[in-house]
Amino acid sequence: MRPRIRDTRLVIPHFLLLAAMLAAPSVCFADETLVVYSGRAERLIQPVLDAFQAESGVNVQMLTADSTALVNRLQMEGDRTPADVLITNDAGSLERARELRLLQPATIPGIEETIPPPFRAPDNSWIGLSGRIWVIVYNTSLVNPDDLTSILDLADPKWKGTVAIPSAGSVYLQTGVSVIRAVKGEETTIRFLRGVKDNAGSFVYGKNRQIVAAVARGEVAVGLVNHYYITRHLAKHPDAPIAPLLTDQEDNGMGSILNAAGVGMTAYTKHRAQAQALIQFLISPKGQRLFADVNKEYPLNPQVTAAPELVPLENFRVANVPLSHLAQLRDPTMTVIEDVGLR
Amino acid sequence: MLPLLYVVVTAMTADFAVWQRLWSTRVPELLLNTLSLSIGVTVINLILGVSLAWILTRYTFPGSGVWNWLLILPLSIPSYVLAYTFTSLLKRGGPVEHLWQSLAGAEAVLFSPFSLTGAVLVLALNTFPFVYLLARSALKNFNVSFEEVAHVTGAGRVTTFVRVSLPLIRPSLIAGLFLAILYVASDFGAVSLLRYQTFTYAVYQQMTGRFDNTAAACLSLVLVACAFVFLAGERWFRRRSRFYQTTGRYRKPIPQPCHPLTALLFTGYLLLVFAAAFGVPVVLLIQWTIEAASAGHLSGKFLGYVWNSLSLSAVTATVAIVCGIPLAYVACRRQTWASTLCVQGAYTGYVLPGPVAALAVLVLVSQIIPQLYGTVFVLLLAYLVHFLPAALQGMESTFQQLTPNLEEASRSLGIRSIRTFFHVTFPLVRGGFLSAWILVFVQCMKELPASLLLRPVGFDTLAVRIWLEASEELYQSAAPPALLIVLITIPVALLLMQKDRQTT
Repeated sequence: MRPRIRDTRLVIPHFLLLAAMLAAPSVCFADETLVVYSGRAERLIQPVLDAFQAESGVNVQMLTADSTALVNRLQMEGDRTPADVLITNDAGSLERARELRLLQPATIPGIEETIPPPFRAPDNSWIGLSGRIWVIVYNTSLVNPDDLTSILDLADPKWKGTVAIPSAGSVYLQTGVSVIRAVKGEETTIRFLRGVKDNAGSFVYGKNRQIVAAVARGEVAVGLVNHYYITRHLAKHPDAPIAPLLTDQEDNGMGSILNAAGVGMTAYTKHRAQAQALIQFLISPKGQRLFADVNKEYPLNPQVTAAPELVPLENFRVANVPLSHLAQLRDPTMTVIEDVGLR
Repeated sequence: MLPLLYVVVTAMTADFAVWQRLWSTRVPELLLNTLSLSIGVTVINLILGVSLAWILTRYTFPGSGVWNWLLILPLSIPSYVLAYTFTSLLKRGGPVEHLWQSLAGAEAVLFSPFSLTGAVLVLALNTFPFVYLLARSALKNFNVSFEEVAHVTGAGRVTTFVRVSLPLIRPSLIAGLFLAILYVASDFGAVSLLRYQTFTYAVYQQMTGRFDNTAAACLSLVLVACAFVFLAGERWFRRRSRFYQTTGRYRKPIPQPCHPLTALLFTGYLLLVFAAAFGVPVVLLIQWTIEAASAGHLSGKFLGYVWNSLSLSAVTATVAIVCGIPLAYVACRRQTWASTLCVQGAYTGYVLPGPVAALAVLVLVSQIIPQLYGTVFVLLLAYLVHFLPAALQGMESTFQQLTPNLEEASRSLGIRSIRTFFHVTFPLVRGGFLSAWILVFVQCMKELPASLLLRPVGFDTLAVRIWLEASEELYQSAAPPALLIVLITIPVALLLMQKDRQTT
């Protein structure tokens, strides 16, 4: 009978482990935990969530992935989703989630006065938290800023080999191209993308941080990024020879490309009160200060001023494309980007 | 099998316009990219694998015994870890560029790691041990008489090598290369960090960048079709190129001692390859880990990731073995058309690269058992689909080595088949099962794309952490989990090497 003893010795620990594992997920989702799906870089959102957790005592758990992937995931999960709150880095994804009935209106006292109407869904299914503009970053010792008046100028062959652009997967690029398409039309957009693609060559980056660093090192003269990556880089390296450039400001020009990171409460949350408390915190002066001071984004609550090194939001022209339109522009924009062959 | 079917159906029911757009824009480029990557890796693998195997089987010099072991170690570094250390080494203003500029002048520019060259370099350094191992065992069991005949008839050294030795070890080389290419074509980690567009990466991008998965399914289908053609090609090639020992005169090659200067040259070459593929990356990881630890980045969360990875991998490996036993047993002992179909179906997981397997499992689960979506079961299922074939292969060969006579003897003594299995068969195959278990365990620890796409909330694995941190270029934060995975994998690589030695 010896073999039997040896058999059980091998098998039993494994099954114990198996049983423990199967129990694990139920432990993960303790009842009071608020689950946040976040499309933002962990570095940028974790401090804010930590502050909320400290203040409210609500335990927050976060899943980080691409904004689009999270919307797809919410759709697949349907009413079984563990998520209570969706945070994304662009308003298009939020609007898309709203259209798919994955979000529900949040009831936040004083929301009408806190966040201006262009930055939230009409029914408050999603609410913008912080604004970012897609700008040109240029190396101050290589470029005369007067040479560039529009983002579209970057397609000019004279910039060949000196432009850094984000990869096709970047939501910021997708938003930027959507806005250009909406304002300037399909043909201009395709011409712009072809030119930029040729000029960028191999200077295609996955992260805004890398583009800013490349411009600061002088590998390239100009790049396309969200404004706060420049400000953050300058905060760390005050002597870096870089500066942001606000383009398309002339009277009949396109205006700057603005997007908003935002938040929405999921349609099937079982923690309405806590989810709304989180949203309330995020739009409160305290939460907004974190976006303004730590991340250098534009707080959308007018009571909170942007970081002093930024040009105030009301001092420049913004392209006239409502944030909610970004959702329906997305897939055709992706097709244009892919057709041109951006990677 | 079922997951694969779902991908096929989704792709087939796709709008014709989607197909047309993909064919005209993405597919040719992706094919070209994947192909040129494979060819590049093949060429470098051949050069590295054959030359290293040749040096180590034909010559003895101080330390040549140790190299046999050291050259296995690159297999223990996951491709994405190697890729991320190389992005740091090769970046502009990085250490390699400084070195290069001090040699070739200040204006010299190094190639970018985010290019075909970069991807080829990383993946070749990651996969050359496959070719090296197979070339080595072929060269070891080589009949030197053939070479001697060539020498006697007046052929020079080079001619002998090219016309006689190389063709003789060709079958092993090709087997090694097929392994390497399969690895390259299904790799997600390295190409995603190096942003080099291959099919596997494109599938992932379509899944995460678009609001519907049709395009991803279409690209998957093309990829899977390519993989099948490739596998069929491999079978055909293997059948065509077999060499047999025809005469009784067989002499093993005897390693020759070599001139000290040559020995120095060889050692230098070996050192260079080893340093690039293993030494330097690991030293970097250790350095970053120390920096991360002293900056206080190692928190209790890290232990959580370790536990997630360890427990999930252990459970998957166990389930794979338990599921694999009947399949492997049936495949060896009771061959019917139904059992063959079943086993071959399980093998399709082999040709499904990570993101495709993830997509398939995702669609499958959400259609059939939606309750499980978003739980750890989905991830488990994806791992199983992906790694069951590896387990099956190991277990099948273990069963094959076992003569049915033993079981028949037990049965003839009146013992029922289940008891026979547990008391006779199982104790004998346990060793083989254990190594299959370890193999699956390690594969799961390293698995990236499916974990990235399917992990439930709060269930980040080590691989996911490495990828998230590395894609932000936060080298220090990505180092501790990377180092841990390498450390866990090293003993396993050495273990497999030892088995390899015993068999040759």
